[in-house]
Amino acid sequence: MAHPIIRFSHATFGFHGVAALEDITLDIAEGEFVGVIGPNGSGKTTLCRAILGLMPPFSGSLKIFDCSCEELHCHHRARIGYLPQKESLDRNFPITVLEAVMMGRYGALGLFKRPSKQDREIALQALENVGMQDHSKTALGHLSGGQQQRVFIARALAQQPQVLLLDEPTTGIDITTQYSVLDLVQRLHRDLGLTVLLVTHDINMIRKRVNRLALLKTRLYAAGPPEEVLRPDILREVYGKDLVITEKDLIIVEDYHHHHH
Amino acid sequence: MLELLSYDFMQRSLAAAMLVGAVCSAIGVFVVLRGLAFVGAGTAHAAFAGVALAYLMGWPPLAVAIVFGLATVWITGLMEEQGRMKLDVSIGILYTATMALAILFLGLMKTYNAEVYGYLFGSVLSVTAEELRIIAALGFCVMGALLIFSKELYFIAFDQEMAEASGVPARRIFYLLLTLVAVTVVVSLKTVGAILVFAMVLIPASTAYQLTHSLAQMTTLSVVIGTLCAAGGVLLSSVWDLPSGPAIVLLATAVFFLSVLFSPKRLNRSQA
Repeated sequence: MAHPIIRFSHATFGFHGVAALEDITLDIAEGEFVGVIGPNGSGKTTLCRAILGLMPPFSGSLKIFDCSCEELHCHHRARIGYLPQKESLDRNFPITVLEAVMMGRYGALGLFKRPSKQDREIALQALENVGMQDHSKTALGHLSGGQQQRVFIARALAQQPQVLLLDEPTTGIDITTQYSVLDLVQRLHRDLGLTVLLVTHDINMIRKRVNRLALLKTRLYAAGPPEEVLRPDILREVYGKDLVITEKDLIIVEDYHHHHH
Repeated sequence: MLELLSYDFMQRSLAAAMLVGAVCSAIGVFVVLRGLAFVGAGTAHAAFAGVALAYLMGWPPLAVAIVFGLATVWITGLMEEQGRMKLDVSIGILYTATMALAILFLGLMKTYNAEVYGYLFGSVLSVTAEELRIIAALGFCVMGALLIFSKELYFIAFDQEMAEASGVPARRIFYLLLTLVAVTVVVSLKTVGAILVFAMVLIPASTAYQLTHSLAQMTTLSVVIGTLCAAGGVLLSSVWDLPSGPAIVLLATAVFFLSVLFSPKRLNRSQA
């Protein structure tokens, strides 16, 4: 295994004393593409917040870039490009695509430094990487959901990150766009050599694309290559009766609740 | 009208109004985008309570107003972070409580004090040279801070959590913004008054919001609109002998309604 860039060691996380993730032990190697799956409320978003250093563990430890996450400084955070779960954007918020992508540079630049021409080049390059270079002056609110998602991925890329952390990148966009967003992530993983963590409830979408899957439901139930994790006995333990396995081995997890919050 | 401009008091009040207009409309961009409109209104009334207390006790009014204003914004900020109560409720309580304090302090004064009421309704035409210097000094501090931290302020206005996740010290920047709001309110108190100061923060920025899709353009437009409306309001008030605060605010409101009518966003929406 290559050098681990993120190391959970018996780490427990939560809010107000209630554990959202318990006793997680998991190493993620540099350059890996890991899919994080699990039902709703299984702690997937908590995992993202923990990796960003926004949530120190109650017990155990989490190290990122060999730096304990409680001490994660701002410049470390800038090395993790993050795509938060899509919220409905105020379509009238006055911001252009380039202005939004430039924000990816701000954390890395630090206080008191003004963005230079070089930062602008980096932002434009990031837009090109996601195929949105022709929209740099467009109002963000005028784009479709899938295009906005690309712009936010470009913002994450503008941080020139080592790790790309994507929380449900395909939720709330139409099915063809979902595939093209995932193709994009796969390409970025390959071409830019990024370590990618992709959180999703949609197992079918990513099972053929990732190196490893991590199956969460408060605890880490399994982590390994997809064929090892996606076994009926393991899945049934996590999903219970919500699990339907068809003859062609296609796994459908009925996730009704997802659309309601 | 040119004749009017040759008077010292007129030059002073024009300068004061334009400074206040510029500072209010610049910070207004972040207030509007970050959704802090109500916070500002509460701060204005708290600051007025500070002024009333200062007159009652014989303390310097601006200093006490700043203390009251800062206490209010910081308490509000903490309440927002804790998230135990809806922000509009907690600010509503603070807002009415500080107003009650102001009325209490006014009631405790033995005599009617016209100067205090100047802070409530604004009296730009009576700005003294020393007050103008204070307005200018504080105004430049606020503008300087806005310029220095503009990229972080824009980021937290757009998405504070994302800003924090990508390495911006978002919490500290948020408190900086709240602090600047309090200072701006106090600086503007004498010119437009506690009741109307928030109109000067909200209206130019909301007008600019209607007209553009770019953060940079919104800021420029807001400052231009704010400064021009302030100057225009002062001129109108002296020509027609109107109270200055309402003249500035009503002029800005008229411009706002025009911007809503001609907003490209409104046109887009009707197409969609």
